[in-house]
Amino acid sequence: MAVVRLPALLAQEAGGQREFDVDAQTLRDALRSLPVRDLCLDEHGELRRLVNVFVDGQDVRGADELDTPLRADSKVLVVAAIAGG
Amino acid sequence: MAVKVLVGTKKGLFVLSGDAERRSWEVEGPLLTGFSVYHAIRDPRDGALYAATNFFGGGTVHRSTDNGATWERAEELGLPEDGELKLNATWHVEPGSNGELWLGGDPGVLFRSDDKGVTWQVNEPLLNHETRDQWNPGAGGMCLHSINVDADDPNKLVIGISAAGVFRTDDGGQTWEPANKGTSADFLPDNQPEVGQCVHKVLVHPLNRDRIWQQNHCGVYRSDDRGTTWERLDGNGLPSDFGFALMLDPRDQDAAFTIPEESAMNRVASGGRLGVWRTRDGGASWDVLTNGLPQQAWVGVLREASAWDGLEPNGLYFGTQSGSVLASPDGGETWHEAARWLPPVLSVETAEWP
Repeated sequence: MAVVRLPALLAQEAGGQREFDVDAQTLRDALRSLPVRDLCLDEHGELRRLVNVFVDGQDVRGADELDTPLRADSKVLVVAAIAGG
Repeated sequence: MAVKVLVGTKKGLFVLSGDAERRSWEVEGPLLTGFSVYHAIRDPRDGALYAATNFFGGGTVHRSTDNGATWERAEELGLPEDGELKLNATWHVEPGSNGELWLGGDPGVLFRSDDKGVTWQVNEPLLNHETRDQWNPGAGGMCLHSINVDADDPNKLVIGISAAGVFRTDDGGQTWEPANKGTSADFLPDNQPEVGQCVHKVLVHPLNRDRIWQQNHCGVYRSDDRGTTWERLDGNGLPSDFGFALMLDPRDQDAAFTIPEESAMNRVASGGRLGVWRTRDGGASWDVLTNGLPQQAWVGVLREASAWDGLEPNGLYFGTQSGSVLASPDGGETWHEAARWLPPVLSVETAEWP
């Protein structure tokens, strides 16, 4: 199972759970399985502008994005973009 | 019962609890840490608190049934998947008059909830309004920030969108009629268009639903025919046509309060002299209320950051972008600082609970 780790505020919105074991072939499927999927993906199913995701240490934006394949032991790190004041 | 002031800030929600005289305040918060609270309100029907919350995960709505101790988020809030628009931010929650809730958001969108804010349905006629291609966002985005629901007829609403203008419906939102005749849009080639006005705040008076007050990007206005026509009032003694804040007296339809700012180019108190300008004759004349306000304050007050409590005498409240909340328990005659050093204040509402 891949593991998705959320930043603190998303974990709070997910009922306090920070890490999720997900059975998913792609990043899209992994994020869709989360209780905070609506905070990671917008209504068009796209990654929110200020949400960044690293799969096994690689930034998915500009690469395979939501089509990024996951291995059984992949580590998915969701982080808030460096933005705002 | 104590007066509470719900202060939405860039960094969470604060609740100010007043003493019986409304002159001493305890500050609780921040609640909803991590969220920018564009607006928070208490539903008087069941006591639930609602907050329009925004953060890196988008715009959403939080609801609390225990006075802010715990919060639940709305489910899957967004615009239709097959449309071109996305929900950029949530701006204003308004309890309706028949059990429903309304939510305004950016890009100029309105949602309705019939299950206490768990799920929200977008208003399609406004989303697909025939004039939408003539709407443009202001500095704060294309925000739907003002929602007035008729207390006796839940099908009658008056809303304000920046910069689209004022719209009204008599059929619960099935059709929306622009209501901007006579209001200016000096930033457009045609400065009297049907739509495109940058309304900053629009408030229907609770005593007379035909009387509407409006602080616009280009002037202060009053309508006596529910927005069919507007009379411009800022030339009657106000120091500026520009501002955001607008307050009413629920027992006096001829009274209104504004906080003029220098100009669109310099959004601070006119001349650095913070004052609340009051009319008691429908806008024919204005006097300035400054007793207790700082002699010099280059502050700005945002569109959601002023409110009144409707008690006797009427209490007025506003918050500044520099993190102060100013309160007047006597209709604006005297002012004091109820809180200071908060994050930038985005919104102010009042409520009462023990």
